[in-house]
Amino acid sequence: MNEKMKIKEAFDKIHAEEELKEKTKEFVLSKINDSKNQAKTYSFPRKIMQAAAVFVVFLSFAGGALCFVPTVEISIDINPSIELGVNTFGRIVSVEGQNSDGKALADSLDIRFLNYSDAVNKIVESEKISSLLSKDEILTISVIGNGRMQSKQSKKILTNMRSFAKNRQNTYCYYAPKEEVKNAHKAGFSYGKYRAFLKLKSLDSTVTEEKIRRMTMREIHSCIESHIHDELETKMEAEPWENSMTEQKSTRRMKNSAHFHKKHHGHEN
Amino acid sequence: MRSEKEVERAIELYSDTVRRLCMVHLKNHADTEDIFQNVFLKYAVSSVSFESESHEKAWFIRVTINACRDLIKSFFRKHVVSFESFDFLNSIAEIPENMTLENKEILEAVLSLPEKYRRAVYLHYYENLSAPEISKIIGKNTNTVYTLLTRSKKILREKLGGYEYE
Repeated sequence: MNEKMKIKEAFDKIHAEEELKEKTKEFVLSKINDSKNQAKTYSFPRKIMQAAAVFVVFLSFAGGALCFVPTVEISIDINPSIELGVNTFGRIVSVEGQNSDGKALADSLDIRFLNYSDAVNKIVESEKISSLLSKDEILTISVIGNGRMQSKQSKKILTNMRSFAKNRQNTYCYYAPKEEVKNAHKAGFSYGKYRAFLKLKSLDSTVTEEKIRRMTMREIHSCIESHIHDELETKMEAEPWENSMTEQKSTRRMKNSAHFHKKHHGHEN
Repeated sequence: MRSEKEVERAIELYSDTVRRLCMVHLKNHADTEDIFQNVFLKYAVSSVSFESESHEKAWFIRVTINACRDLIKSFFRKHVVSFESFDFLNSIAEIPENMTLENKEILEAVLSLPEKYRRAVYLHYYENLSAPEISKIIGKNTNTVYTLLTRSKKILREKLGGYEYE
């Protein structure tokens, strides 16, 4: 029997335990049922909310700057990349696609004047994004504030977004100071993608902006993981080698000593 | 969201595959249980429609590998795991007792390989995936996969010796 068949035979003996399968069935089915119940009770009176938002906008028309100027921005990256401007009332006042897919997604969504939580939820639940997430792509949500000191509003949004991300697979949330975001935009990236690019570049100096532009967040993250892993494995593989090198050195020393003895005394010990 | 029946069907079909992949990557039962449950939860909430059973199986393999790597990465990041805990031979507590000595030796030899080698060996020798198919799943290029398989064969030959190779 050759090697391949022996490996096959060995792994054939490994099976998922019945207890593990039962526990998993219970776990998954309970999550499915929880989600169904949540969908029933969680309903926003959307038209009322939108009408109220329009009314608020109308009332503050005289002091329009308050309503239309974003005080916090939220960047959503999976490829597409999209940035949302949130005003002081927590409403979306601007939606900007950061790449062609992002622009297409921004055009297809009706999220202006929604509360930022609803807007992010709507984006993540959209067909395009949920299809990407189901293919194991990575979504990052960056909350962009003014400078390194977070405002009260950006802290609150960050807390909510972190909580949102925590309950979802493959979803991560960061705080991003505005200066760093400016650098990202200068390079033609949304913040989430730019952050991932910088991380990868610190591990692989050959990576270029052009290459990153074509990659999804999952692809960039996989490259990062791969580099970290390779570095660690190289370190770990070196350790057993160090032990065997020590053995080889001492063997050589013994041989050399035996040779020296033979050379000078005519026989080995 | 998939139905109860679909989830139960998937668990029956792919639980052994997911279990074996967890064994290749992870070293304790708690982590295996976490990853196992998360993979089937992902399946339940995903809306991917599969063209065939082999497409579906490839999805399970890819998602399980990614989940295991994410978990291992979070261990490395926190610097929690010391080198001693990577004593693969002694930490393999999951090997069933009904295995022959020969099977145990083979399994221990494969599981003692560095992670990227044992993953390639398992996918090629057990799941019968070609190097191009493996490269798509693990995100490396095909030549890298060929190199991994060649080096793994050499290491296994040194560890086990005396077996014929394909």
